[in-house]
Amino acid sequence: MQLNYKKELENASRSMILVQDPKVLIRLIIRLIVRKVKADHAGILLYDHEKDSYVLTISGGKTGLKIPPGFAKFGKGNSLIKIFTDKKFRPFFQGQNTLIVDDLNKMVWQQGVIGDEKEIKETLHDVGCQMAMFNVVACVPAYFRDNLLALLLLGKKSTSDIQYNEEEMDFLSALASDVAMAIQNAQLIDDLRKEVERNKSLFINTVLSLASTIEAKDKYTRGHTERVTKYSLMIADELIRSKAIDLPKSFRENLYIAGLLHDIGKIGVPENVLRKESGLTDEEFSQIKEHPIHGAEILKNLPEFEQCLEGVKFHHERYDGRGYPQGLKGDEIPVIAAVVAVADTYDAMTSDRTYRKALPKEAAIQEIEKNAGIQFNPIAAKAFVDLCSRQEI
Amino acid sequence: MSKLLIVDDEQDVREFAKNFFVKRNIDVRTAPGGAEALKLIDEDKPDLVLLDVRMGDMTGIEVLQELRAKGSDVKVIMVTGVEDQDVIDEAKSLGVVNYVHKPLALDELEQIVLSQLN
Repeated sequence: MQLNYKKELENASRSMILVQDPKVLIRLIIRLIVRKVKADHAGILLYDHEKDSYVLTISGGKTGLKIPPGFAKFGKGNSLIKIFTDKKFRPFFQGQNTLIVDDLNKMVWQQGVIGDEKEIKETLHDVGCQMAMFNVVACVPAYFRDNLLALLLLGKKSTSDIQYNEEEMDFLSALASDVAMAIQNAQLIDDLRKEVERNKSLFINTVLSLASTIEAKDKYTRGHTERVTKYSLMIADELIRSKAIDLPKSFRENLYIAGLLHDIGKIGVPENVLRKESGLTDEEFSQIKEHPIHGAEILKNLPEFEQCLEGVKFHHERYDGRGYPQGLKGDEIPVIAAVVAVADTYDAMTSDRTYRKALPKEAAIQEIEKNAGIQFNPIAAKAFVDLCSRQEI
Repeated sequence: MSKLLIVDDEQDVREFAKNFFVKRNIDVRTAPGGAEALKLIDEDKPDLVLLDVRMGDMTGIEVLQELRAKGSDVKVIMVTGVEDQDVIDEAKSLGVVNYVHKPLALDELEQIVLSQLN
């Protein structure tokens, strides 16, 4: 029965859309070639950046004939590769992309007509030897632009000794461009992923260096930022784990940034006030109380900080409405700020200040528990106390 | 006719390599693992062994150790999957004539094998 190549090609293209991993697609294509085109074996050489050579990555067909995957590699200088990459050999293909073993003889004859370059003759001879060595009768290259990304190697047809016909070679050629496209797409997706990673790490590092500026100014915040961020994330994980509250997917990431930057507004508070070791005057205290607003001002023009800005701006609000800067009450206070508030207060209580000693851990935990629903969002406070009772904080 | 023993736990590799070297007028035997390899080396006295490092029953290094312990000085080319310096050093200390990494450049492998057999 005559194979409907157009239909097979459509099927292959459909799989290409569904399959993101090029290796899975190539495996499908190799299987298709062996089963439908009835090649006794088929394999594909894929360019490997790390090895800077072409590696026989996937193969199928009869054992003993098929080239074992991962076993053989071909350097760029190998004749079988060179004949498809070196422009010198283009004229021999006469517009055709593919190479059939019989054509090699014609090429050698042609070469006699064109000239008698020793190198060309040797290369063509070597290609013939290698095709024989691998029991390969046809090669189909897969290019993207001018780069050879892959090379399909095909054994003879298992049905008869008749060579591949033109229609089959066209079909194989189309499959090869599918392969090239799949590899290229996977490469693009990979590059994009790396770019996203790079941007993300640049963003996080920028945030970290921004956070470190405040530590340089106020020695009491040294280590504080890191601990508040750590406690905040632990509370978030506990909220997620216990399903105490519905949180958006981005919550944890925003909380991480909000934790790192919650005191960034202290940059705008005079150093003598921040470093004062005796009691603060009312005026000085109101200057300190402005740091959440300063923080929000610093971040407001950066759209990336939109979600965490609320955590910075409202981390000194109280559940009973007696906090600052806006006196928000109960659920008016965003959860992100309510979480930072618990973490921030706990760390402040358990750290030494010049004007007072640190509270013991147990006393500070009791204080948080006692003030749940008064100073703190009760759900955030409960999560924190639960973590403490399990000795996780 | 020179005798070559190919030891690899993958059937595809054994068959392919066998065909490859048979075409070069070499008498090729194959073994799927260490125990079988040791037996064949004993009975068949190959001129050269192509020995894979990673196999199911025992590693190529263990096969080599046992060979040398028995006093066999058969020529061995080690085939490694990764460029593991410890394995290479160990293989060298056990007197392998050469080692190659998978994936192999077959023309190089051919040269290495033929130069040992001639």
